[in-house]
Amino acid sequence: MSWIVIGLLARAAFVLSGAALATFSLLWFAPGDPALAIAMARYDSIVPSDVVDIVRAEAGLDAGFWAAFKGWLGPLLVGDFGRSSVNGRAVLPDLLTAASYTFPLALAGLAIGIAIAVPLAIIAARHPGSVVDRLAVALASLAAAIPTYWLGLLLILLFAVKLSWLPAMGARTPAHAVLPALTLGLAVAAALTRIIRSGILEARAQPFLPAIRRRGVAESRVSRDHVALHAAIPVITVIGLELAFLLEGTVMVEVIFARPGLGSFLVDAIEERDFPKVQAVVLFAAALFVVVNLLIDLIYRLIDPRIGASDA
Amino acid sequence: MRSVLVLFIVFVALAVGGPMLAPFDPTAINIPERLSPPGSQWLLGTDALGRDIFSRLLHGARWSLGLAFLISVIGLVIGTVIGLIAAMGGRIADWLVMRTTDTFLAFPELVAAVVIAGLLGAGTGSLIFALSVTGWMRYTRVARGIGLSLQTRGYVVQARLAGLSGFYIARWHYLPALLPSLTVVWTGMFARAILGISALGFLGFGVQPPMPEWGTMLLDARIHMRSTPLQMIWPGIAVVVCVLAINLAGDALRDSLARDHK
Repeated sequence: MSWIVIGLLARAAFVLSGAALATFSLLWFAPGDPALAIAMARYDSIVPSDVVDIVRAEAGLDAGFWAAFKGWLGPLLVGDFGRSSVNGRAVLPDLLTAASYTFPLALAGLAIGIAIAVPLAIIAARHPGSVVDRLAVALASLAAAIPTYWLGLLLILLFAVKLSWLPAMGARTPAHAVLPALTLGLAVAAALTRIIRSGILEARAQPFLPAIRRRGVAESRVSRDHVALHAAIPVITVIGLELAFLLEGTVMVEVIFARPGLGSFLVDAIEERDFPKVQAVVLFAAALFVVVNLLIDLIYRLIDPRIGASDA
Repeated sequence: MRSVLVLFIVFVALAVGGPMLAPFDPTAINIPERLSPPGSQWLLGTDALGRDIFSRLLHGARWSLGLAFLISVIGLVIGTVIGLIAAMGGRIADWLVMRTTDTFLAFPELVAAVVIAGLLGAGTGSLIFALSVTGWMRYTRVARGIGLSLQTRGYVVQARLAGLSGFYIARWHYLPALLPSLTVVWTGMFARAILGISALGFLGFGVQPPMPEWGTMLLDARIHMRSTPLQMIWPGIAVVVCVLAINLAGDALRDSLARDHK
């Protein structure tokens, strides 16, 4: 077990370093001079080229790729994400503020998605092939084809414009979070329903179930203790993989509903060409993904010891 | 395979022939007729610049479907080659390739695509690059998985012992075995590419105006949600219909492959 854990950690470390390198090179090789961007933001005007060179040296950008990468990575390892090249503020506090808007929204979306998907999948899987089952599958397929941002726009149109029940733009009151969370939740439910349904069907086909039934165990207990547990394992994996989807969905939803958060943080940073901010948010997303998947890999092996080191 | 083929022909016909069916020039500005409701002259109405929405949708098919096709095929080629290198190149190559793939997978696709397209500067070229760079990993995983299982098959071992080149073996022994599964992956990635193109267009990082792309049309329509909500409905329906059709064809293909296996 300990070797497996070490292997998983080594792998996560490799992927994280790769992600850091990819993030840095992306901005290093992107067209546009970051030093010029910093200088223009600082002096708020056209700057002569010797001033740009001074800024370049100050920011450690004149030293070549690897030296600049080290200069960026060193402080990063102790949690220093650098300063915004536009307003000079430290990046990390702003990033955390943005995340404090994004995470509750993403979790609410995930909760709503599970709350819709699980009952729907259970009802659908009760009689596979029935009208109800086909309807549920068709509905989930249709919903999975709807772009998240369009769904958000439709909900705004219905609930904010036509019915005026809920506010659509901003994040001032809790009511402002209802439509964004609902948008995300519906998108998550669309992705989860079919997976949970086939998980239940697969679990119900397990060969040991007839044996348990023949021992006289009540059907309700069979469902609860055996079918549900087996169906849960693939669902846990999928929810881990859905994290990327959830993050993407949240980015789009934040932009549509004009909410503060990582999505608006990223889009604004790209438009202002604020390289340290872009690097921070991209690396943050990648690190989050790696850490959550590492945890899921570990939990998975705790639940089911048959899974070895090489399975991923 | 048949359902995918039929769908493919319909989409090619739409992308090639759609613009020919368009009654108007999709970029012709006609201010007096702006924001017209659907009617006999303007089948689906006009947008804020008086451009015919129906014509723009038909022309948009070329952007959305054509670019999505291109992007998904680029990913297919890159991903398959990398996957085969991992499967055939030995353990060290495999580890390195798969960890690199994991690294690319660690970035949420759409977020990475937004960053790449945004930093390269908005335009069709950066859009294609951004979505291709973020869209090859699934093919690699599938190609590598099946490829590894083929490594020890009798006919592959025979071919290797007969001194056939790696390229020959990959071309004639691996590719035919990979093709069905890769086609299933491809349908999924084709659908994702359509969604990605429209999402980037909607964020302003994709196909640039005045080109009629469905995501960009949604962005334009959003401002006029109160006065002409229908304008926002049409491009969305176009995206949903295409994505749904591709997904259903992919499901049918997967089911028929699963039946063949039994």
